[in-house]
Amino acid sequence: MASSRRRSHPGIRRRNTVTGYALLAPSLFGVVCFMLLPVLVVVWLSFQSWDLIGPISFVGLDNYRSVLSDGVFGNSLLVTILFVALVVPIQTLIGLGAASLLTRDLPGSGWFRTIYVLPWICAPLALGVVWKWILAPTDGALNTLVGARIEWLSDPALALPTVAAVVIWTNVGYVTLFFMAGLLNIPEQILEAARIDGAGPVALFWQIKIPLLRPTMFFVLVTTVISAFQVFDQVYALTQGGPAHTTDVVAARIYYEAFSAFDLGRAAVMAVVLLVILVVITLAQQLYFRRRVTYEMD
Amino acid sequence: MKWTRTAGIYLVLGLGAAFTLAPFLLSILTAFKTREQFAGQSVLAWPDPFTVDNIARVLAGPAEFGRAVVVTLLAAVLILIGQLVCSILAAYAFARVDFRGRQVLFWVYLSTLMIPPVVLIIPLYLMMTQAGLRNSFWSLVLPFAFASPYAVFLLREYFRGIPQELIDAARLDGANTLDVLVEIVVPLSKPIIATLTLITIVSHWNSFMWPLVVTTGPQWRVVTVATASLQSQFNGNWTLVMAATTLALVPLLVLFLVFQRQFVRSITISGFK
Repeated sequence: MASSRRRSHPGIRRRNTVTGYALLAPSLFGVVCFMLLPVLVVVWLSFQSWDLIGPISFVGLDNYRSVLSDGVFGNSLLVTILFVALVVPIQTLIGLGAASLLTRDLPGSGWFRTIYVLPWICAPLALGVVWKWILAPTDGALNTLVGARIEWLSDPALALPTVAAVVIWTNVGYVTLFFMAGLLNIPEQILEAARIDGAGPVALFWQIKIPLLRPTMFFVLVTTVISAFQVFDQVYALTQGGPAHTTDVVAARIYYEAFSAFDLGRAAVMAVVLLVILVVITLAQQLYFRRRVTYEMD
Repeated sequence: MKWTRTAGIYLVLGLGAAFTLAPFLLSILTAFKTREQFAGQSVLAWPDPFTVDNIARVLAGPAEFGRAVVVTLLAAVLILIGQLVCSILAAYAFARVDFRGRQVLFWVYLSTLMIPPVVLIIPLYLMMTQAGLRNSFWSLVLPFAFASPYAVFLLREYFRGIPQELIDAARLDGANTLDVLVEIVVPLSKPIIATLTLITIVSHWNSFMWPLVVTTGPQWRVVTVATASLQSQFNGNWTLVMAATTLALVPLLVLFLVFQRQFVRSITISGFK
């Protein structure tokens, strides 16, 4: 906090404290009531039993026991990890490829970039519903166009990869934008020096550009892993967690546990576990890559 | 050799663009078709006869999409105003006021960024129910109208770039903190405020899980929830469902095409969503 670092006179500092808190008050009210308090409430709720209608009663570790032992949540964690493992590498590769094609100063690159970002800014739920029709077995656009009858969303072997493909389609433009910015940030002198040393385009890409893209790569991987871990809208629109729980990702599980099975205690346990997982992922990246990330953000 | 390479690049980029745009175009085409044409002809066929019946039915019909559009816009605008006012005040405190506890509170703000929104759904639902606000307009607005740690960060960074001399000069002329904010800081921060406006409106137009959970029935349905319920109600009636998705998607497409550069900038500086 650089700006007003000079130590103020005690009287001024006291007045500053009043001003500071007065300015902060409305925002702090929101942070406390709608972010910090809910975290406490969800932890508290994970030790209670509640069916949305009846009274709330303390049940100790029962919810934890039931969630960790019945396999439903284990399946959801597994499905989510599989989903992240499908989505993140593929969209990163496609985004990197697109970015390297779009940073060659070809006329029209700006238009392609704009088009690729479109799905990212639109409602995932509405796009999910459009894809639901496109992938419908009998009157869906895709099957009628290719003249097949593939059960994209109801075949247990195909459902998760299909949902992953829809999410990749949504995210590729976002990833592309960041890689474009990263590639354009590489100083021309470095590339020039490598060319003089005899590096061809392939060597230039893999040995110079990719290593220099590490901060961008890191930022993209962290943000996309975290968001893929919380995927909900597309799953709700496309499969509702089915068939046979093959797309029952954690966020969807929490929703159905709370608002279809009316077991808020179990849903709270799952939310707590998700919170811990995502905080650990975030803290790990903060600790190990602090310097690189600040470099990237600057 | 050179031109074949360029042609190859354009071919790949063009295929990517076609694949990206196809779902949008299919949704729009289908929204203007009659059910008979949809059942009888290729999905790629141009709407003939061109009909606005689906759109009209969706807007006025049982899903009350027209109402949902109004509710969504109103909620998004209120959230935007609340977040901007609260975040500008807070960001100025963090950037330019040397108060006791500033470091700790800033750290608290930082740490809230780690909380996944999905985790907050259950406790917020419980809190809203206890407050008697479940299925009300305010339940859509309140949880988001005060705090946006993200906005506070972006604004604070920006405010720190404003020369202190400008603020000191105004102070010497007798301006108080609010005068400084209204007359100097806010006018100089228009670009970042524009960015936040776009991000907030878009993300609340698109938001789904919280409105789905906290509202029931058509009264306070937002656009995404209305789309989802229309899809389950008229399952298989794709011309009608595509009219709904078209209504949910097209306003953002238009907004995006108008503010293209600001959008792209906003995404790269903020990470968005």
